[in-house]
Amino acid sequence: MYNRDVRGPLIIGEKTFGQISTEILAPAEKKPGKWWFAMMTLATLASAWGIYSIYITVSRGIGTWGVNNTVGWGWAIINFVWWIGIGHAGTAFSIFLLILRQKWRTSINRAAEAMTVFAVGCAAIFPALHMGRVWLAFFIIPYPNTRGPLWVNFNSPLFWDFIAISAYLLISFSFWYLGMLPDFATIRDRSRSRLRKVLYGFFSMGWVGSSRQWLRFESLAFILGGIAAVLVVSVHSIVSTDFAVAVEPGWHSTLFPPFFVVGAIFSGFAMVMTLMIIIRGIYKLKDYVTDGHLDAIARILVFISLIMGTAYATEVFMAWYSGSEYEIFTFFRNRVTGEHALQFWGMIICNALIPQLFWFRKIRRNLPLMFIISLCINLGMWLERYIIVITSLSKDYLPSAWTSYAPTWVEVGTYVGTLGIFVSGILLFFRYIPIIAVSEVKSVRDIGKRKYD
Amino acid sequence: MMRSKHIIGVFDDEFNLVRAVEEIRGKKIIIEEVYTPYPVQEVIHAMGKRSRLQIVAYFYGLFGALAVLAFLYWTSVISWPINYGGKPFNSFPSFIIITIILTILVVTIGSLATFSGRARLWPGKKHRMYDARATDDKFVIVLNESEAGAEGLATAESIMKGNGALEIRKEEPEDE
Amino acid sequence: MIKYWKSLEERENRGRTAKEAGEHKHKNAILDLLDSNTVGHQASRRDFLKLWGYSLGAAALAASCERPVQKAIPFLFRPEEMTPGMAKYYASTFFDGQEYASILVKTRDGRPIKIEPNDRSGFGARGTTARVQASVLGLYDDSRYKHPLKGNEKISWEEADGEILAALGKIRKKGGKIVLLSSTVISPSTLAVFGQFREKFPGTGLVWYDASSASGMLQANRDSFGKAALPAYHFEKADLIVSFGADFLGTWLSPAEYTAQYVSRRELDPENPSMSKHYQFETGMSVTGSNADVRIRIKPSQERLILAGLYNTLARQTGSTIYAAPASPLPIDELAGELLSHKGSSLVVSGSNDPGVQQIVNEINYLLGNYGETIDFTRTLNTRRGISAEMLNLVDDMNQGGVDALFCINVNPVYDFPLSGRFEEGLGKVGLKVSFACLPDETAERMDYICPDSHYLESWGDAAPGTGFYSLQQPVIQSLFDTRQVQDSLLKWCGKQDDFHAFMRNHWKENLFKRQSMYRNFDDFWNHSLQDGVYEAPERSGRQPSIRHKGMKAVMDATGKSGEPEDIELLVYESVALGTGRDANNPWLMELPDPVTKLTWENAACVSPALAGRMGLNQGDRVSVSGVIELPVLIQPGQADYTVSVAAGYGRTRSGKVATGVGANAVPLRTVQDGELLHFRKKVTLEKTGEIVEPALTQEHHTMEGREIVRETSLNEYKENRQAGNELHEHMESQHTTLYEKPLFDGHHWGLAVDLNKCIGCSACAIACQSENNIAVVGRDEVRRRRIMHWIRIDRYYSETPDDPKVYHQPVMCQHCDNAPCENVCPVSATNHSNEGLNQMSYNRCIGTKYCINNCPYRVRRFNWFAYVNNREFDFHQNSALGKMVLNPDVVVRERGVVEKCSFCVQRIQEKKLQAKLEDRKLVDGEIKTACVQACPADALVFGDLNDPESRVSKMFANERNYHLLEELHTLPSVGYLVKVRNTKD
Repeated sequence: MYNRDVRGPLIIGEKTFGQISTEILAPAEKKPGKWWFAMMTLATLASAWGIYSIYITVSRGIGTWGVNNTVGWGWAIINFVWWIGIGHAGTAFSIFLLILRQKWRTSINRAAEAMTVFAVGCAAIFPALHMGRVWLAFFIIPYPNTRGPLWVNFNSPLFWDFIAISAYLLISFSFWYLGMLPDFATIRDRSRSRLRKVLYGFFSMGWVGSSRQWLRFESLAFILGGIAAVLVVSVHSIVSTDFAVAVEPGWHSTLFPPFFVVGAIFSGFAMVMTLMIIIRGIYKLKDYVTDGHLDAIARILVFISLIMGTAYATEVFMAWYSGSEYEIFTFFRNRVTGEHALQFWGMIICNALIPQLFWFRKIRRNLPLMFIISLCINLGMWLERYIIVITSLSKDYLPSAWTSYAPTWVEVGTYVGTLGIFVSGILLFFRYIPIIAVSEVKSVRDIGKRKYD
Repeated sequence: MMRSKHIIGVFDDEFNLVRAVEEIRGKKIIIEEVYTPYPVQEVIHAMGKRSRLQIVAYFYGLFGALAVLAFLYWTSVISWPINYGGKPFNSFPSFIIITIILTILVVTIGSLATFSGRARLWPGKKHRMYDARATDDKFVIVLNESEAGAEGLATAESIMKGNGALEIRKEEPEDE
Repeated sequence: MIKYWKSLEERENRGRTAKEAGEHKHKNAILDLLDSNTVGHQASRRDFLKLWGYSLGAAALAASCERPVQKAIPFLFRPEEMTPGMAKYYASTFFDGQEYASILVKTRDGRPIKIEPNDRSGFGARGTTARVQASVLGLYDDSRYKHPLKGNEKISWEEADGEILAALGKIRKKGGKIVLLSSTVISPSTLAVFGQFREKFPGTGLVWYDASSASGMLQANRDSFGKAALPAYHFEKADLIVSFGADFLGTWLSPAEYTAQYVSRRELDPENPSMSKHYQFETGMSVTGSNADVRIRIKPSQERLILAGLYNTLARQTGSTIYAAPASPLPIDELAGELLSHKGSSLVVSGSNDPGVQQIVNEINYLLGNYGETIDFTRTLNTRRGISAEMLNLVDDMNQGGVDALFCINVNPVYDFPLSGRFEEGLGKVGLKVSFACLPDETAERMDYICPDSHYLESWGDAAPGTGFYSLQQPVIQSLFDTRQVQDSLLKWCGKQDDFHAFMRNHWKENLFKRQSMYRNFDDFWNHSLQDGVYEAPERSGRQPSIRHKGMKAVMDATGKSGEPEDIELLVYESVALGTGRDANNPWLMELPDPVTKLTWENAACVSPALAGRMGLNQGDRVSVSGVIELPVLIQPGQADYTVSVAAGYGRTRSGKVATGVGANAVPLRTVQDGELLHFRKKVTLEKTGEIVEPALTQEHHTMEGREIVRETSLNEYKENRQAGNELHEHMESQHTTLYEKPLFDGHHWGLAVDLNKCIGCSACAIACQSENNIAVVGRDEVRRRRIMHWIRIDRYYSETPDDPKVYHQPVMCQHCDNAPCENVCPVSATNHSNEGLNQMSYNRCIGTKYCINNCPYRVRRFNWFAYVNNREFDFHQNSALGKMVLNPDVVVRERGVVEKCSFCVQRIQEKKLQAKLEDRKLVDGEIKTACVQACPADALVFGDLNDPESRVSKMFANERNYHLLEELHTLPSVGYLVKVRNTKD
């Protein structure tokens, strides 16, 4: 199953379990550094701007955005898809690697899952916000009501979306939380302060680490893992149906579901890489998040970026092959060339070309470069969503309705706001929750070292 | 809660623990419980317990899928049929997606509930530990007289000694 | 409430302010506190607590209710023959000094809310123009005069009458001169009133002044036929129509009437197809030009030369007198040939105000024997009387102090008279200046007295638009303000006791009643006429006159030469929406996209692409025209080279909140040439000001990208093959396969057919729809952001070269697809399909995801980006109680954040269905008319039941020319389009 000759030890250095706990739990047990407060302030400011923009949107109307009667969706939906994509890494990470029994995941999955939860949270803001009458959003819930009862339209991708996102949020969260139970218990039992004992005691739900608990813990983890695996694939497929089910040229394509899922994992892993590099740097956890880990992520990114490139090529080819004048216009005169060519080629470069650098071991070991590349990928994925939403809507079937679209400060503010919320979430996570799954790391301490296993 | 005498063996090494547990079990002595900071498959196996959570989850899924499909059919064909873009009322293909997702939802919630029930875990639950280090870096074996019997305890103790237990404590029953 | 007193002083004090206290006794204590009058008295802690509690409660109350409180006040005594909630229709007459229409006014609970064409009238069209449709909103204009004014002081009618009569008395004593300056009046009774007034005040002059003048034609006709009148034109009888700058489908004389005549020859009978052929010589691209089969671009100054040349060519070939005149700048032999082959079945018209030009036109038509055929002088059109020379004389007179009193009736020379400067000077020398303006305007504000006229929907009146056509105008609502219609004012000043209603009745009794034989007693006659709104008598105004070539030689000699080819010539034209700017303050018209330029909320300097290229002008560059006005450049395909054309009617300096300061007034640039006001100027300069403004266009992309959106063919091809141009349709029908079986509609299946060959793009439907469906006006900035709310938009495409393009008009409303992509994606089922094939939208359910907007391939769905009602940012007509009176109670006013769109006027469908049910009968085809269908003067839109094979719409769907927009998407629209056919050679 795990072959140590291929990869080196998962954790560097001979450590007692106590050491592991101490080192990993350090951030959660000590006071944070200055940088933490600095970052927190920035993030809070950003969130404040976001919240003000949201206030403007809700109080005055969607008219404060740049969208119009031709381009009904703008930055809001772009950002929504972008965040959801990022939100895929965590679960994808834990689940797939869990199912594949990839033990090296253990040092990373906790942070990845945290990221998922916050990212999906941020994503959920946008669909709510882009509604004209958000105060009636509950209409989308199919509950027995006095209007008939009037149910919802079960054919609508937006409804599928709503269900999928909520389910995904719930499951990611419970999966994340489940993993944290033993660690909360550890903190509880290690800490001397009364308050911490009570608090973490409450959240650890009375975990004692008995074999009975471990038994059920493992089997539940396996169940959740199993279904969440289905969910990871289906959620972004469903997000893709928002477009694929529509008639717009450039949207109406069966390629979308796999294309979106892969894209999501792509951006997600890139974000994981970004975060991991930061954590490593700040918390001196090089021994747990080893170069080997980053290397593994980089390899995955290369692979996915190849898939992305292929997908882009396929789209363009199919547009030509379909012979539909609308498709051909959209791709050849409104994406590859034309008003949005810049964004299109930016997307190609960021997603399909730059990641190819990871073929070189040197680059896979060069943290600053990896950091930059991971950011490029996130930018590229944002551009991809921009291309999909804007080009198709702004110039579709009847030229008389064609127009262009530019965001207003309100839309930009909302986006920056979600970034702020995301960062502050991550920071709180650093502060109060074990960044790495202690118990899991302990279980793999000796892998790649002992003679017998 | 303790009605009888206990011995508590504390190890700091997974491999010693595993050997000890296996030997004790080999002697048909009932171990009350083993506490480890992380799951140790051998121990879990040696304790000879099996979880039926998967089977339960499967039935949750079965129920969820059928219930959802039935609901969709009822709402859109019987309760209030509406024509959306020329689709028939029972447009089964577009119901599938929701069925999948909602089924997953049902399974999750169901098994979470079952888990917290069976593993006795819920927010703010009181817990009792023989050795607080068990969640950190120690491995703890607990036996009690009522299950293991007096000589059982003795053999277990010697076995644990033999396998390099850090310490072995005896606890007398407390009277409540 | 009891007020306790602490000290005697206070008591005394209260005693002294007993009056004040008395005022407040009846009031609620808390209101008392809130009342500003009581700032004086101290609020006790108790009061404060009360107030606090009250405001808390009030706030909670206000916060808790989502929608404003609706007041419904039932009738204490139900007015006779009025059922609350049931619409009543009254026949009436619209005439604004330019355009005549016999109308039905729809009133709901006493409020006129919609104008419909009167089918019983034989004059004009079965439809109305945009301006007639919009006129109802004028009634509810906040900026109307609400009482008589002296200067800016409010005075009572008694005072006004007194002072004016006194002044008039003085003038009469000293035998001074009084002038009634009025736009053309076609009301016989009003003319009689004028007569009365002139009897009472001898030496009263009457000067007609038309902002949209036909002075040139009137004079030409006087010279040619000794008859200063306008003939009746018959475009329906003409096989060959040649128009020189006459925008007869848009603004010329009687557009609705001519449109109806014109399209009657554009309807194709598959059995033996025939069409009239239409040549248009013009400078700017007009609606008429955009529909022409052959369009020739000329500079305004060339018009006279071409006509002179044409006349000579024709004369040469018919052997009549030839005059010496320079040769035509364009080859015209071919045209001459065609004209000669259509003797008696051709029609030549010109929009020029130059008597010379018009006289040549008369001669040509006479040569071709069109009089008595396509031009009928036995019936006259009375809607223009103004002779420019008279107006010019008046202005001189005024400047020499020869005028003691001036009464302005429905005229605004300070704004729309080219020599407004001189007119203003003259005003200074006039002793008594009285205006009857209904709305504030540039002239009225310079008057001594304003005796506001009532809106035409509040007034009595009659009209004789053409020989033998009489119609009545009746008030459909009590005067909203303290206004009085002109006739009543004049009668009062004549010392007459009876009001105009009685006067008019009497006048009809004296004249019309005597001439008819149908009714025994007058009351029957009057009541029937009033009910029908019209009375038509078989009258003739003499025989076809024979032509006398009076002054023809002089005219031909004076033909002169055209301007330098390199000189930029300016043409000032009337736009379809605003015309001469009289109704500029009407937000509906202001936001109506021009049928050709698609520009809203301003006028622009239209230049040809070639000229723009040469001068380095870009769309939106602000240019100064001869340093007189500044306008944004609009690059207009089809504009004649080296010309710039500017719409009149904009740049009002004194009007309501909508019109004031929008655009620029080009009228001062018109030329005055030997006693005539011409529409153009031979030489203007264009200079960039460097400023750039984004024009508020509703369409940014103007070609079809080679897509089969508007399908067209030529008459010859159509004769060969009935499916010409529509080959794709059959192919698509054969390709359609579907997973689900085609939806089936038992009962009704509503459908709409659009004959692209008859739609001229006049946009009357857009305003009708806006008025019927309470569609919000969003203002210039929102239009710039592509957020106009119109439910029906008329797409305008160009093909071929930008210099000489073919133009296409295509009305696009919700297509009510049976496989609607929009319904499919709405998560909350706010939009879904009715069992009568309607794509229905329930606003209350909509949460505004805008998914349906994105998924509608036709982009006909509109989103309420803001609250357009009670919102200071959108201060048009939905902010005041008055402006809201125009709203149609049958259609909900949409809230912020919901999607809306064309509903096929479902409220009308339901109304008629109910009616039929009550009368226990089947619906008759054509009984249900959507607002657009009813308003269309071209009869291009047909609504009906597709399940009824005999219905007109079914027949049109069965026509080989029928196709569906984007049918390759298999959305199965319920709207069909009939291929456009041009009468061109190939």
